[in-house]
Amino acid sequence: MFGEKAIELIRELHRASDGQLPAFNEDGIRQVLEEMKALYEQNQADVNEAKSGHSELISTIKFRHCSLLRNRRCIVAYLYDRLLRIRALRWEYGSVLPNAVRFHMSAEEMEWFNQYKKSLATYMRSIGGGEGLDLTQDIKPPKSLYIEVRCLKDYGEFEIDDGTIILLKKNSQHFLPRWKCEQLIRQGILEHVLS
Amino acid sequence: MSEAYVPVEAGFGLEEGYLSLEDILMSQERLPCRAETALPRLAAVLGKAGAEPLGSVPEGTKLEIPLWLAKGLYDNKRRVISVELPKIYKESWRTVFTADANVVDLHKLGPFYYGFGSQLLNFDSPENAEIAQTILQTFIGRFRRIMDSSQNAYNEDTSALVARLDELERVLFRVGQKGLNDFQSWEMGQASQITASSLVQNYRKRKFTDLDS
Amino acid sequence: MDPAEVEFLAEQELVTIIPNFSLDRIYLIGGDLGPFNPGLPVEVPLWLAINLKQRQKCRLIAPEWMDVEKLEQIRDQERKEDTFTPMPSPYYMELTKLLLNYAVDNIPKADEIRTLVKDTWDTRIAKLRLSADSFVRQQEAHARLDNLTLMEINTTGAFLTQALDHMYKLRTNLQPGESAQSQDF
Repeated sequence: MFGEKAIELIRELHRASDGQLPAFNEDGIRQVLEEMKALYEQNQADVNEAKSGHSELISTIKFRHCSLLRNRRCIVAYLYDRLLRIRALRWEYGSVLPNAVRFHMSAEEMEWFNQYKKSLATYMRSIGGGEGLDLTQDIKPPKSLYIEVRCLKDYGEFEIDDGTIILLKKNSQHFLPRWKCEQLIRQGILEHVLS
Repeated sequence: MSEAYVPVEAGFGLEEGYLSLEDILMSQERLPCRAETALPRLAAVLGKAGAEPLGSVPEGTKLEIPLWLAKGLYDNKRRVISVELPKIYKESWRTVFTADANVVDLHKLGPFYYGFGSQLLNFDSPENAEIAQTILQTFIGRFRRIMDSSQNAYNEDTSALVARLDELERVLFRVGQKGLNDFQSWEMGQASQITASSLVQNYRKRKFTDLDS
Repeated sequence: MDPAEVEFLAEQELVTIIPNFSLDRIYLIGGDLGPFNPGLPVEVPLWLAINLKQRQKCRLIAPEWMDVEKLEQIRDQERKEDTFTPMPSPYYMELTKLLLNYAVDNIPKADEIRTLVKDTWDTRIAKLRLSADSFVRQQEAHARLDNLTLMEINTTGAFLTQALDHMYKLRTNLQPGESAQSQDF
């Protein structure tokens, strides 16, 4: 049956639930595009034959055309759903992605991520009365300006508001400005300790 | 759970969500059809290749084709195929559903019982009205159990409950669970805790398993 | 909504405190507060009350309804009636949780209060489910749910609206031709 390769792409993405980004399946996409090309060419040939009297071919042409549209739908949905996942990374992870994630993206997806990052930054600079406002901060209503955090891995030096530099070492505990560490918590480097 | 990633919703009903992964998977499910015209050069594609891969599939051949294809070929102007009802939407099964919808394992029978059933209404079967009615009654009959189980099963293993649910019911179940879990973690004073993103946690896990293998 | 956001809204509710310090009236975007005089009761938003209490700057006065006898009445009434009875505060759950967490020493019979409020909540949630089920069974199109609080709606709301949305679509299936023409993909 036509469209088998395309549905495999969808299954693969759907299996990676909870918004994770599996590796971009370049080979799978290529195979679907090849099938589409073949379908198109076969149909071109058969359309010409049908015009010269072989009207029994019309059903077959229609069959292939449906398959062509199905392949297109799968590819567009595959790419679109990946963009939704990539966009989520910007909100949950920050603007610099770790290599493990970047390796899963195509060159075009990296390009899209960078553009999205820029648009969002421009917008966030333009609001908040000229000073800008980081919309990715304070996803939950903050209870206090400072919070207690525990370091889950060796991170290195970290500068806080007043210019002091502290060393984030595995298992060390710190009392830090909430806005400075929210992103590090989301990234799994720090852990928010509730008092 | 990732909050920032919201997948495209399934259309659920007569219309599909074009970009919905759920709907694409749903429309991949097959249904029995009959070829109403010959289909030249498609024998191999339809798995009917005898001697010749580019042979014709003769009129009257029974086929099992995916829903998306059946929808595309079903056309009143030129009847390429006619569609038969899959067994769980036929009268004998409809009686079972009406008797007690809760005993049925919709995952095994479906797993897109509601979505696929709604899509079948696109084909003008004389039984459409009964099908639509049965699907609706099945949902109503199973509603209470899904609600109660999703709102009670905090911190319990829910796999046994979920195993018999259709895909749509599973989504509903998870929504109910999320409401309950969020509330309970608020009650325990954990709602204000900033947590690591699930996207991040899973990449870390993957990295470790990569190292192990 | 996240319960943390509901709680944030609840923190705007006014409660009475008895401060142990002096401070002139202060002017904030959200309204003016004070003046504060030692020993004189004054109304402040809950967020400030908790903050002052944590720094041992005040004693909290429990809201009038946060009283074993009154709450027993409320619970019994809730159990007796088929519909939802009005709650003494639209944020009764949040206020109970926050006050008992941060000012338990200022609230008499805290444990009993905790249990009573929880019992009332459980009764109301059970009622909500029961009415949701009969709503679905009878295929009603609309219902009145007076006196529900935001936290209650928030806990079951997403589930209910989604389930009703599904049911609506399954019902539209019954009337072919009325819904939009399906598209070929």
